Amino acid sequence: MKKIKAKSSEVYVLLGVLAAIIILFGVASGGALFSGNILQTFAFQFPEFGLLALGMMVAILTGGINMSLVSTAALAGILGAMVLSNPALDETTAITLGIVVCVGSACLMGALNGAIIACLNVPPMLVTIGTMTLFEGISLNLTEGGAISGFPETFFQVGSGSILGIPIPLLLFIIMAVILFLLLEKTPWGEKVYMLGSNPKVTRYSGINNTAVLFRVYVLSGLMCGLAALIMISRYNSTKVDYGASYLLQTVSAVVLGGTSISGGYGKVAGTVIAILVIQMITTGFNLLGINKLFTDICVGAVLIAVLAANSLKESGKLNFSKKRNLA
Amino acid sequence: MERVRNLFKKKEAGIITIFIIVMIIITIGNNAFLSPANIMNILTTNIVMGIAALGMLLVIITGGIDVSIGWVITIVTVVIGEFSTKVGGNLFILILVACATGAAFGLANGILVAHLKLPAIVATLGTMSIINGLVLLVTNGKYIRELPDYISGLGQQYLFKVEMAEGGFYGFPVIWLFWIGAIVLTWFVLRHTLVGRGIYAVGGNVESAERVGYRPKRVLTFAYVYTGIMAGLAAVVHTGIVRIVDPLAFKGFEMQVIAAVVVGGANVLGGYGTVLGTTIGVIFMGVINNGMVLMHIPTFYQKIAVGLIILIAVSIDVVQQTMKERRMVKVDIKD
Amino acid sequence: MSVLEFRNVSKSFPGVKALGDISFAVEKQEVHVLIGENGAGKSTLIKILTGVNSADPGSEIWIDNKKAEIGSPVDALNLGIVAIYQDFSLFDNLSVVENIALGLQVTRQKKVVDWKGMRKKAEQAMKKVRLEADPDELVANISVAKKQLVAIARALVYDVKVLIMDEPTSCLSQGEVEQLFEIVRELKADGVTIIFVSHKMEEIFEIGDQITVLRDGQYIKTASKDNITIDELIELMVGRKVTYETYGKRKMNEPVLRVENLCKKANFKDISFELNKGEILGVTGLVGAGRTEMVQAIFGLNKPDSGAIYLHGKKITIHSPVDAIKHKFGYVPENRLTEGLVQTQSIKRNLNVAILEKLKKGVFLSDTARSKSAANWMEKLSIKPVLPDMPVGKLSGGNQQRVVIAKWLATDPEVLIVDEPTAGIDIGAKEEIHRLLRELSDGGMSIIVVSSELPEVISICDRILIMKNGRIVAEMGEGATQEEILNKAVL
Repeated sequence: MKKIKAKSSEVYVLLGVLAAIIILFGVASGGALFSGNILQTFAFQFPEFGLLALGMMVAILTGGINMSLVSTAALAGILGAMVLSNPALDETTAITLGIVVCVGSACLMGALNGAIIACLNVPPMLVTIGTMTLFEGISLNLTEGGAISGFPETFFQVGSGSILGIPIPLLLFIIMAVILFLLLEKTPWGEKVYMLGSNPKVTRYSGINNTAVLFRVYVLSGLMCGLAALIMISRYNSTKVDYGASYLLQTVSAVVLGGTSISGGYGKVAGTVIAILVIQMITTGFNLLGINKLFTDICVGAVLIAVLAANSLKESGKLNFSKKRNLA
Repeated sequence: MERVRNLFKKKEAGIITIFIIVMIIITIGNNAFLSPANIMNILTTNIVMGIAALGMLLVIITGGIDVSIGWVITIVTVVIGEFSTKVGGNLFILILVACATGAAFGLANGILVAHLKLPAIVATLGTMSIINGLVLLVTNGKYIRELPDYISGLGQQYLFKVEMAEGGFYGFPVIWLFWIGAIVLTWFVLRHTLVGRGIYAVGGNVESAERVGYRPKRVLTFAYVYTGIMAGLAAVVHTGIVRIVDPLAFKGFEMQVIAAVVVGGANVLGGYGTVLGTTIGVIFMGVINNGMVLMHIPTFYQKIAVGLIILIAVSIDVVQQTMKERRMVKVDIKD
Repeated sequence: MSVLEFRNVSKSFPGVKALGDISFAVEKQEVHVLIGENGAGKSTLIKILTGVNSADPGSEIWIDNKKAEIGSPVDALNLGIVAIYQDFSLFDNLSVVENIALGLQVTRQKKVVDWKGMRKKAEQAMKKVRLEADPDELVANISVAKKQLVAIARALVYDVKVLIMDEPTSCLSQGEVEQLFEIVRELKADGVTIIFVSHKMEEIFEIGDQITVLRDGQYIKTASKDNITIDELIELMVGRKVTYETYGKRKMNEPVLRVENLCKKANFKDISFELNKGEILGVTGLVGAGRTEMVQAIFGLNKPDSGAIYLHGKKITIHSPVDAIKHKFGYVPENRLTEGLVQTQSIKRNLNVAILEKLKKGVFLSDTARSKSAANWMEKLSIKPVLPDMPVGKLSGGNQQRVVIAKWLATDPEVLIVDEPTAGIDIGAKEEIHRLLRELSDGGMSIIVVSSELPEVISICDRILIMKNGRIVAEMGEGATQEEILNKAVL
């Protein structure tokens, strides 16, 4: 019982941190943080990062990692953009096909990761480092280092339009967060993800098809990249390969900060969502205060190490416990 | 003795075969490939990678990884640039400064991984992002130029220089000595020192290593510090070749280094890996890049090739491992 | 003169006292047997002696009548205290030579490896233990029996004063055990004192001089082997006379499962047997006889090379546990901690892990169904404490084992395979597990029990298969005795 309380209290602590940061930056910026403009930008900005972080979260829950997130999104975006900017297609076809290609190709890339990781049992980190390089290479090849632009007008709606006053990117993020929540915490597959993340041998011995579970995890991770790519290309009206690799680290930080165990098995979608907001708020706040963006990188790196170090110290307490068990 | 050699060779034999096939293909594509000038060019352009890979090798044998290596090299080049332009000194002092700086960052990684027990990938990702921020903050992304001669001339120094009649010359580049030195040192450390064998022992079985008297934390920390020192050395050589300090020169470098080490037969799960294999891995990757240029394949394809090579190399590695485990004798059945 | 003396050695872990005030002496040149049930504190005591764990303040260890400070493994090794571990503790990625002699160089605090010296030392030690292997071969590539010899050879390179052997015979065949005992006698003659941890009574009486019994972390008694009988020893170990309830041998002939000529290279060979409805079939033999490999093959975890499995007369193929569960098999693995339960997850999650698809309401898992199912099984198997959200790792061994069994009962299996059902749990809980298995079989479930514990097998099984070197060498039923089984398993 205690455990559950402790778990949800973690989320409250995070919420507290978020509130504190908002107040801090709010005061420091003399209220500028709360101007409609900034909030609007914020609402349009964080979903693409958020989707990537959710994609990272599912991989980390299984004890893996997806280093290819950003390059998956980039390549998916480029493939989508190539369809979108194809003058031979009429607008509706271009947009429909573009979205399908973008999301579909991302899922395929996830499937490639999943196939190698799940079927061959190759460590996820290495596989995704390999695919990261591979996807980047393909992207560079397709764009030859340049950018693709010239999308149909309507397509910008994805990145900058609103439905009922809610920005579409935000809506997309909320929908995906809810879907992920349901998948992870309410379906047999989700339950298997958690159990497998803690101990894949036990799940295998319990008749769970680890390969299938893992494969889907990486496809889902790819799907998140595809959706993030949609927002990216529509927001910038063009696409190129280099979206900034610091994203990758920031997604890991968000997931870990949100209470997900880097070794797998634990983590709630709610925690990740709040952590995403915290990190984006720091970025926005620094930006607003005119602090060099690089401080964000340093901060995020430091926070990541600090959180992990704290967790590892906590866990070494747990370890003692299990030692005792063995002997008792 | 022979059996062990054969066993280590098995993996290396695979890469050597591929290596030779690739060389033949490239030579057919462009016979300039095998010219002495081109071979020297390949070796020289890969010295930095070669030295860095030796450091990475140690970490990978322990079962860890160091993704901060590219940015550690970068920050050392910045330190070198600042030191040599502002303080002066000489090459010897500069090398000491570079290695010490690298070692300091290696120590930080070592403490995080060995003492705080953070997963190596995350710990080094964290330091990577901190160093990345620091470097760009300090340099503003700007180059440092006009370095003193003793460092900027390093890449142009040759031993046994022989002028050719038709202009041009042959000679033994001084910077090769750095690579050769690093290879010999690393080989000696891994093969002939107790801590080197400890790196294999810890990578193979931490608990047993502790039982025979090793202190795994120290051994691990040593591996990361050594990687830092190699990063420092690589930074010196790099600066000596390019003669400026470019804060963005090593973006994405870590993945290439990891790829080279893995292609060279080191096992990412720890326990296996040799200096010979790693060095061949580096040269192999260098040859592929060089060959693609010679065969007029757009540079963008190089990344694809590298990605594919990583995927294939790690997959083969893991599949081999699984097969071996499957074949392992569990019960002595007597007929 | 005592070469080693424990004086008030205690060890506490947070919340648990693993050892309390252990005091006894070990004389020079004797084989001193350390015996006790799982959890009696043998391994903790050994870890303290070898410097892996530190004892509580106030504990003293005296070597040669001098107080010794053992703060690290190196200290212990320098004092001549060397251990051979049950799991061998070898480096698969290093050569035989290095495995044997590297440690010596570490304790001597060398900086540079003396390869020549190492090789010489290693070859001497190999000769002593009669290990015939290529010294440069990687240990990963040699057989288990040779690994055991490497582990012994490694101990001999030190200046051994006290040699600790932790269940050294568990992976050896009879001939190899004889060979080992010869080595032990030679060492003894050379002046080495040996602490011999073992479960096997006949071994203890063959090789031992003095026998010390530990129970629940307490020192119970030291006796000379001439002054004590096996029965007395067992009584001391468990604290009371142990007689498992003996259940009658039932005769059934309604075959459910038939295995024919199952073979797997380097695992097992020509395995054929039948399992009847409502029967408990025991599979016993020495560790390393291929028992676990064989049952895992039936459950789809270890692909056999050839042979056939029939269920109700119909040939079935099982490629994975997923298939096995479809055919209503269940498997309680040998190792609860790493294979049976996700220690860090809740009791509820562990109980439900094999039946998730059954707990759905539409596409989603039903929270009520999950809780209900968990509560139901916790009650049925009286798993305590009744805190379904508590991490399963916090339960006692007996309760954990019941969770594993309950997990499988929830799948409603027809054939339940139980590997070492009572390893590492206390005697009361053992009997409850026995009763539970008998009840289940009375209810029509067919059960295969793999166990090394002969009294257990004799007590609960209707028939007993004895495996040796990967084959079934005998089948016993009514009137099976420990001696008979051992004879078959060993000779």
